[in-house]
Amino acid sequence: MKTGIHGELLKIENLSFTYEDGNNVLQDISLTARDGESIGIIGANGIGKSTLMKILVGLKLDYTGKLTVAGHEVNKKNLNHIREHVGFVFQDSDSQLFLSKVEDDVAFGPRNYGLSEDEVQRRVTEALEKVHATHIRDKHTYKLSGGEKKLSSIATILSMEPDIIIMDEPSIALDPRNRRNLIGILNELDVLKIITSHDLDFIMDTCKRTILLDEGRIIADGDTNTILRDKELLETHGLELPLSLNTR
Amino acid sequence: MNELHPLGKLLVSVLYIVLVASINKYDIVTLILMSVYLVFIFVIGDLSFRDGIYRMRLVLPLVIFVGIFNPFFDKTVLFYIGKIGITTGMLSMLTLVIKGVYTVLAAYSLIITTSIDDICYAFGCIKMPKIMILVIMLIYRYFGVMAEEAGRITTAYSLRAPSQKGIHYSAWGTLVGQWLLRSMDRAERVYESMLLRGFKGDFNTVKKKVKKTDIIFPVVWIVIFILIRWRVIL
Repeated sequence: MKTGIHGELLKIENLSFTYEDGNNVLQDISLTARDGESIGIIGANGIGKSTLMKILVGLKLDYTGKLTVAGHEVNKKNLNHIREHVGFVFQDSDSQLFLSKVEDDVAFGPRNYGLSEDEVQRRVTEALEKVHATHIRDKHTYKLSGGEKKLSSIATILSMEPDIIIMDEPSIALDPRNRRNLIGILNELDVLKIITSHDLDFIMDTCKRTILLDEGRIIADGDTNTILRDKELLETHGLELPLSLNTR
Repeated sequence: MNELHPLGKLLVSVLYIVLVASINKYDIVTLILMSVYLVFIFVIGDLSFRDGIYRMRLVLPLVIFVGIFNPFFDKTVLFYIGKIGITTGMLSMLTLVIKGVYTVLAAYSLIITTSIDDICYAFGCIKMPKIMILVIMLIYRYFGVMAEEAGRITTAYSLRAPSQKGIHYSAWGTLVGQWLLRSMDRAERVYESMLLRGFKGDFNTVKKKVKKTDIIFPVVWIVIFILIRWRVIL
């Protein structure tokens, strides 16, 4: 649901997180994000990208530091508020889609928030239109192709009309056409988008700002074009230049 | 059939199963008459009898096993076909098998024409406790999750052991352990996805409108069942 907040939607101050086994996966993370921004979070495997995303949506609450999402501090008391404003698209669409029909899955969120059935139907139609997937409205989720599953997953989030959309590896397992389609759809969305991905070309095409994480810390935070063209920076932290920039 | 209100379909199916099960074990005529419902459902619903029978392959041997001893214990001869005496035991075995087939086909026709969400909606209409409906829905969803994981694991195994038939017993322990762990991980992600979209322990479904046919269907069939079961007109 829209908060109507224009400006700072996400504020992280000195956030750290340690797993039970002592793995200090995030250390002293601070950042702010504003309405309408598109932010790519990049980094090698296991550096805490997914953990950070889960903390942002309140799936992990035992962090230290201060975290404010859509005007609410992330804690157990505020979880309902936060989840109304933040949509999380899982890497694996099969985990996101759990009802038998696309329409029911897209309507699941709005119905849980007690909206009238007319409003639910309006949102379902609008969400599916935004991802150009109205033709799969009545399809069974288990019969969808990989690309259709991804679009449906995004629609399940858009129907909640969130202020913030967080996506974990959205381009994974998509063919070039579906990937290009997804880039177009994401670029049309005017909400705050936070995208984690190893697909640096995808980040380049969808995000104006990029944050590079390594060993649980923010290494760089700035313009995507500047960071993703810095070969030395990327290679020092376990990444490589995007394929489109690699001249080899 | 798919468009009918799930409550009507659920009530008719349950009543059918109860009435078929209650028919006297020697009353084969009533049992044959009761097949009219299944024929109607399969024809109107455009369902495949072949698929229905195929899906009974696991249940049918059990039904036959239960009834197979009847001819040995119940040897009173009822009539002869040629020189073969047809005993009450044979008849009761036959009715038992027919009852098994009917009840499984009735349940199959309900499941095939009604989604789990609609069946649970019907349970809600008859005031089944919400917690039980939730458990049914989650079990259904997690069965799917577990089946998918089992499929992935067995495919990965068979691709690397092409000459083996099935899974070698030495690998069963590891595979089952992996299967459970992976299913639990997957189930957790599904649950997280539900929580993130406002799930608070209650599946909110749209209230279904009741049409004329939704009332006519159960009323007509209940009347027909009563007429056949108690042989009012025959």
